[in-house]
Amino acid sequence: MMRLLAALALLAASAWPAQAHRLKLFATLEGETISGYAFFVGGGRAQDADLRIKDEAGHEIAQLTTDKSGAYSYKAPQTQTYHLIANTGDGHVAEATIDKGRFSGASAAALAPDEDDTPAAAATTAQIERAVDAAVARQLRPLMEAYEAAESRTRFNDIMGGIGMIIGLAGLALWSSARRKTKP
Amino acid sequence: MAHIPDGVLSFPVLVGGGALAVGAIALGLKKIGDEDIPRTAILSAGFFALSLFALPVGPSSVHLLLGGLMGIVLGTAIFPAVCVALLLQAVMFGFGGLTTLGVNIINIALPGALIGSLVAPMIQRATPARAAVIAGVASALCVALTGLMVAASLALSSADYMLSARVMIASYIPLMLIEGFVGGFCISFVKRVKPELLAGAA
Repeated sequence: MMRLLAALALLAASAWPAQAHRLKLFATLEGETISGYAFFVGGGRAQDADLRIKDEAGHEIAQLTTDKSGAYSYKAPQTQTYHLIANTGDGHVAEATIDKGRFSGASAAALAPDEDDTPAAAATTAQIERAVDAAVARQLRPLMEAYEAAESRTRFNDIMGGIGMIIGLAGLALWSSARRKTKP
Repeated sequence: MAHIPDGVLSFPVLVGGGALAVGAIALGLKKIGDEDIPRTAILSAGFFALSLFALPVGPSSVHLLLGGLMGIVLGTAIFPAVCVALLLQAVMFGFGGLTTLGVNIINIALPGALIGSLVAPMIQRATPARAAVIAGVASALCVALTGLMVAASLALSSADYMLSARVMIASYIPLMLIEGFVGGFCISFVKRVKPELLAGAA
């Protein structure tokens, strides 16, 4: 009977697309807007989740709610590191960080402007930089989304490994109790 | 659901949960006899694998907890069973944290142990059909209790995590129904084909 149950469980496990249950928060930066969504790995989006945004010092600066598709967007008031914390209200919490180095202003400030730059040329440079930033963010987004989803996908091998480990532990316990009995 | 990640709970809650869990596991291990080991391992493996699979429901996503089923069959041996499975889930899948392990064990296993040992004698005497009903109700109650305990752990840690009743109801009510059916079905099946499995619950 047990063997039958085990076989059934195995069948169910292999037929099901591998899904782990865990909240994750996707966050990306496009221009000065932080956007993304809260999602359960392999199991849909977190609707109406509470989302808090904290600044570098850990002070809460904004409180949002995710929409019907779990998405949110926040216009960053200044260039600094932002911490985002999503909370679905039933014990799932996830965090994400947008580093200040990802804001376009940060790299522009790092590159000292040339002395002979006319204001017009500097403006053009800034425009080009913004355009490049936007294009890169747009193209990278699907890649980052796919990575986030793949990173914590449950793999069949891992599940079988865990089950094997539990069976091994049971064997160990049986072996040690058998030893205890045979000893005088 | 019941897998609270690292960095959410406050220190006193973590220490309290950890101490309770250590005591409960010690009690469970002391009461395990040789003949209990295989079924403890099988249910531990079942919980480990099944609670990895989640379904999107409403604003959240739910997975099986099996607290009632494990409690009825295992009694206090539910604590070591849940401990092993949760430890593996945390290490292998980042599913719940290592520091929160104690709290998570108590939240999932304690309702099972309490309600399970309460209804196990009733199920032993009942017919398979009645046993299914009792086990179903017990499983659903375990889910509700686990939900309340998760809410309490979060609320005790920080006012930031005060839970909205609406979300709790939206995610736990469907799970109570699912667990009720799964628990009832499993127990009536076991009752019919292998009733002695239910006899030795400590």
